[in-house]
Formats: sequence, structure tokens, C-alpha cells
Amino acid sequence: MRSTHPTWRATAVGVALGIALAACGGGGPVVVASKNFVEQDILGELLAQELEATGVPVERRLHLGGTFVCHNALVEGEADVYVEYTGTAYTAILERTGTADPDSVLLVVESEYADRWDLAWGPPLGFENTFALVVRNADAESLELATISDLARVAPSMTAGFGPEFMAREDGYAGLARAYGFEFGDVRQLELGLMYRALEEGQIDVAVANSTDGQIAGLDLVVLRDDRQYFPPYQAAPVVRREILERHPAVWEVLVGLEGALDDVTMRELNHQVAVEGRDAAAVVRAWRESR
Amino acid sequence: MTYSEGNRERSAVEFEGVGYALPDGRWIVRGLSLAVGGRETVVLVGRSGAGKTTALKLVNRLLDPSEGRVEVGGTSTQEWDPVALRRCTGWVIQEVGLFPHLSVRRNVGLVPELLGWERERIDARVHELLNLVGLPAVEFAARRPHQLSGGERQRVGVARALAADPPLLLLDEPFGALDPITRAEIQREFRDLVHRLGKAALFVTHDLREALALGDRVGVMAAGRLVAIEPAGRFLECEHPEARALAATLNGGAGRDG
Amino acid sequence: MGDLIRYLSANRGQVVSLFGEHLVLVGIAVGAAVAIGVPLGILATRDRRIEVGVLGVTNVLQTIPSLALFGFLIPVPLLGGIGASTAIVALTLYALLPIVRNTHAGIRGIEPALTEAARGMGMTDRQLLARVELPLAAGVIVAGIRIATVISIGIATIAAAIGAGGLGVYIFQGLAMVNDTVILAGAVPAALLALTADGILGWLARRLTPPGAPGARSATTAARPT
Repeated sequence: MRSTHPTWRATAVGVALGIALAACGGGGPVVVASKNFVEQDILGELLAQELEATGVPVERRLHLGGTFVCHNALVEGEADVYVEYTGTAYTAILERTGTADPDSVLLVVESEYADRWDLAWGPPLGFENTFALVVRNADAESLELATISDLARVAPSMTAGFGPEFMAREDGYAGLARAYGFEFGDVRQLELGLMYRALEEGQIDVAVANSTDGQIAGLDLVVLRDDRQYFPPYQAAPVVRREILERHPAVWEVLVGLEGALDDVTMRELNHQVAVEGRDAAAVVRAWRESR
Repeated sequence: MTYSEGNRERSAVEFEGVGYALPDGRWIVRGLSLAVGGRETVVLVGRSGAGKTTALKLVNRLLDPSEGRVEVGGTSTQEWDPVALRRCTGWVIQEVGLFPHLSVRRNVGLVPELLGWERERIDARVHELLNLVGLPAVEFAARRPHQLSGGERQRVGVARALAADPPLLLLDEPFGALDPITRAEIQREFRDLVHRLGKAALFVTHDLREALALGDRVGVMAAGRLVAIEPAGRFLECEHPEARALAATLNGGAGRDG
Repeated sequence: MGDLIRYLSANRGQVVSLFGEHLVLVGIAVGAAVAIGVPLGILATRDRRIEVGVLGVTNVLQTIPSLALFGFLIPVPLLGGIGASTAIVALTLYALLPIVRNTHAGIRGIEPALTEAARGMGMTDRQLLARVELPLAAGVIVAGIRIATVISIGIATIAAAIGAGGLGVYIFQGLAMVNDTVILAGAVPAALLALTADGILGWLARRLTPPGAPGARSATTAARPT
């Protein structure tokens, strides 16, 4: 066995470095997780790169799964941090209803998460990703649609396309119809991937999407304002295990440093670069960080 | 070769120098000249592959001759519409081919139905024929083919061939699959029936005994040619080697596949 | 089980409506496949080139994963787009193979002696088809329709992904919400529908098979001793 064999040398160096870093960091890398859609790929990558830049060792487990998968990973200690949305934590995880005020929602989720699972919320990143009712720009102009209430006039003659989750949840379409007092003439349930194409081709007139989706700008679509505040606030903010904060004090500084770093427009732009232009998320994040 | 004068002025079937070749050039029938009289039963015997069945199929245009001319009822087969020709000719094959999804009555009445007879006329005719072949209509008309024995099926096959009262019957080893006793019985009945009704028949078999029992004349086919043709009563005096070979089977191999 | 029953009865209006949508999708597709497939199967028995072509194409269609076929059809003008029409086209294409193949096999499986007897008696091609071939092949053809129907009921659940409705709506909702009861609310009625269709068409196929037809147990043309 040649001791100068490249693979063996690399392994030896790697092990040494790993031990050194672990010793520095006081035990184990920080595991960064993210949910399974484009925006989350970007946000997870952002957390990871920011942490690495301050010397904190990072292990990435991006595109892990849905809301519940990521939440459980933190609770079980298999991941340490990911970006969640306050509204989702409020309604889906804590199963609460009512209140539209972003500050109260944040307060509630912070205290509940701390009490129940010893999880902390970092400050909001600066944007909201809420359910958005979108229509084609041409329709918005000709039918004078700016808010969801404006739809009441024309809804019976419109076809809406919703994903299975929005259709199934009580606080999805059912709640929306109750809150605004109208229903659409025809409602189709279809997979999220088909939504934009169907809207573009005129097979549906209204779709429910994410407000920060990259396609919205590119496809000349208009997001209708939720004037009755039906949807809870969905502020994006990191959720992190308290234990990690004690082990790596640098982590909290990074999270604080990201407060207000991304607004709606910027998030949408980054989403566009990855989802529509097809660029690599890590590269897009790196480029954006350098431009800050 | 002699042409029989027959009992009607016009032959039912006439072969004139008929030959049939496969696409690859092999001749299955060659130089066949034969006339079947209007009330005559001619039986063709010979080994397997001698061209007997092919000759039969040249009559109702299931095959067309490569050379020569076949006449049915005085008209060349080439001038006959094949479908019309077949409806004027009784066709009986060894497997019978009774349609399993139809009753005996509907099987027998098939050609009249194709010809557009009225229902009552068909029913009467079926009734008549079943009784004629020894299957009382009352008992058999409503049965299905799978409920019949081999002998019964063959009789139905004959009845079916006679239904539209064709002047000519073509039979291809029709009794080959029957047991010896039933076979002998049905041969006797067939001969009586055909003579009584005054039909012409061209019958093919590999069994000389059957040929001698049924035929007015018996012809021997070998390698596609008609090598001998004699009245049944004088067949055993025929000198031709092929005829003698067949005759030998009567005693030597008799009873085995009779 | 109790949860499922409660869910079904609490939502019976919608359950019935989705069930109806499912039936319509399958019904139109199988109907179209019969209208196209049976004649194709008949043609395939007449002409060797058509036989090879038709059986080959329908074979290939079957190998395409169903979700992929739905995806391919969406951009097609006229036939495509989201909704029931695309789903019906896809379902029809899947239903073709069993029907074409069984029509072809059913007619080919008829004893040659029967065809020879029919021709020798003076039946035209059309009479042969109508009086002999189709009646005798009917049982096998219906068996093919049976297979096609059961397949369609299953694949139609995917139609919900492209906005065509049907019982798949519940299955996709249940998957998104990680709720087994809702998944079953879609899957169980679909399974029951498939079982029922299978039973009815199986019975019909047996009824239509006379003894001696291809697929039946006894043969008429083998002579039996008296």
C-alpha cells in the first residue's frame, strides 16, 4: 500500500480538518435544512453560505420535504435550522385560527415554539410569501381587478385552478369563499406544476400561487390584494434549535445579520433566476451576497 | 379417358385440361379432364397429397385454375360470381363446420337464409331435410351442435348442404372422422338419398371401400393427375398400378382405418 | 374504517359527484376505444401489414407511463390542455391495446373449418364477419373490454392531476395533507367500481361464449363417439 496514494492523503487531511473544525466549533457541524421548493432551496443555501463565511461548519440537508418533515427534523434534532413562514407555523403546526396581525402572530409562534420544543425564531428576513390569487394582466385591466373583493363581480363566470392542498384545507378555498362571500363558476383541482401554464393558456382564469413565485413577473400576471386580510401573515424567518445557539454563538449573529435582508421584489427576482432562468441556486445566492 | 354420357344432357361439372400450381411453381393438379353427369356420383380416391381436395376446390372457386377450364352447369367458373356459385353447390367437409352459436335449425337453414327465403319456407325445408337425414326435427331442430354426436353432426352437415336444393354436391372426406359402424350406416343412407334426390356429386376420399360403396364411377388421382377412371363395378379389374395398389388395401390393410 | 365511512357520509354529495365524473371519463374512453379498437382488430386479421402496425403501436402506447402520457398530451392543440378532454384521450389510448388484441385473437382463434365452411357455403366477407366471426369472437372481445375498463378506472385516478376531476381528486388531496382517510375516500370507491365492472363484464364474456367458440371449453368439430 503506497502511503502517498492521493485518495488516502485526501482522506487523512479531511479527517484532520474535520476534527480541527469540530474542536473549534465545539462539537459537530450545523445542519441546515430546507423545504422542497425553489425558494426554500435558495434560503437554505443562503443560511449555509452565511454560516460558512463566519467559519461555522455546515452540513446541508436541503430539499428535505414539506413543512411537517422539516419541523419534525428540528424537534428530533436531526436538523438544526431552516426558514419557516410565521403563518404556516401558526395555522398548520400550531393549528390556530384568527388574527391577521403580523406582530401578534410572531409573538405567539415565538413563545409556543420555545415552550414546546425549545426552538427559537430568528428575526424576519424581510419578505412575506403568502398565498396569492393571480390573474392575467389583461384581465386585471379590462375587468378592473386589484383586490380579491373585486373578483366578486366576475367570479361566477371564471374558472379557478387550485392545488390539492388549497382545496382540502378548511382555511383554503372553503375559508376564502366564506370570507369574501363568493364562489367561482368552475373550480379545477390540478397539480401545482401545471398552474402557470394553465393560466397562461387561458384554461383557468384565476390561480392560487406563492406571492414570491418567479413566474409572476415573467408571465405578466397580477397578484390581487387580500383586502379582507383573509390569509394570515407569512413572514419568512429562520427557526433554530436553542441548543445550537449555545454551542455556536456565531449562529445567532448570522441570523440577526440577515434581518430585513430580502424584500418581496428581491426574493421574487432570485426565484425567477432559479425557477425560470434555470440557474443553479448556490451560484445565484453567491452572486447576490457579493452584490450586497 | 372416357367421358361418361350421364343421365342429363349437360354435365354438372366438367374439367378440361385443368391444372393448379402453387406460387412457388409446384403443380398440385395437372391435365385433369373429367365430366360429372347430372345425376352421377363420381368419387376421387388416391393417397394424401394426390390433389383430390384441390380438384374439389376448383369447382366452387375456393381456388382458381392455373390452366385449363372448369365448367359448372355449362358455364366456366371464371364467369360465375363465386358467392352465387357456392350458394348453388352443396359443400360438406370432414370437420363439418357447424356453427356452435346456432341451433341445428339455423345451421341447416343458413344458405336459404342467405338466399332470402321467407321464414316459413325455410322452417318447412329444415323440417323436411332433418327427417330426410334421419334426425327427427322435433327432437333435433332446437339442439346445439355441441349436443350432437359425430354421426349426428355429419348428418346435419349433409342436410345443410342440401338445404337450398343445389344440383351439385361437393364432399371432402365427409365421413372420415366417424367410427366404422356409424360410417357404414351413413354411407348407405347417403347413397340412397343422393340417388333419390337426383343429385350430382363429386366426392373425395382416401378410402377405396367407401369409394366403391358410394360411387357410380371411381377415379384414381396420383401426383395431381387422373390416372384411371372406371365404373365402380369394374374397378377391381383395372390394370393401372395405382389402382391395383389401392385395391390391395382392401384385403391387406382392410379394417384398420376403414 | 370508521373514519372512512364517516368521511364518505359527511361528504356524500361530493363523493357522488366525483364518482360520476370518474364514470364519465371511463365510459367515454372505453366507448371510444371500442369504436376504434374493434374495427382495427378486425382489419388486423385481414392484412398482415396492418396487423403488425396496429399491434405494434398499441403495444408501445401501453408502455408509456400514464402520468407521462397525460403530460405529453397537454400541449397538443384541440385535444390537449388541462381538463377532461386530455384525460379521455389518454385513457382511450390505453384502453386500445386490450381491445384490439382481443378482437384480433378472438377472430383468429376461430376454428379454420368454420371459416372454410362459411365461405364454401357462399357467405360474403361481410356475412362471414357478421354471422360467424363476430358472434364467435364476442366473448373474447368482451374479455378485452373488461381488461380495458379495469385499467381505465385505475388510470383515471391520475386525471385529477390535470384538472379532469374524478375520484383521484381525493387521492391527491389526501397525499398533500398526509391524510389517509381522504386518500381512501378516493381509492376505495375506485377499487369497488373496478371490482364491479370486472365482475359484470366477466359474466357477460362468459355468457357470450358459446361452446366451441375460442375460449370455450368444448369443441364442436372434434368428432365424438356415438
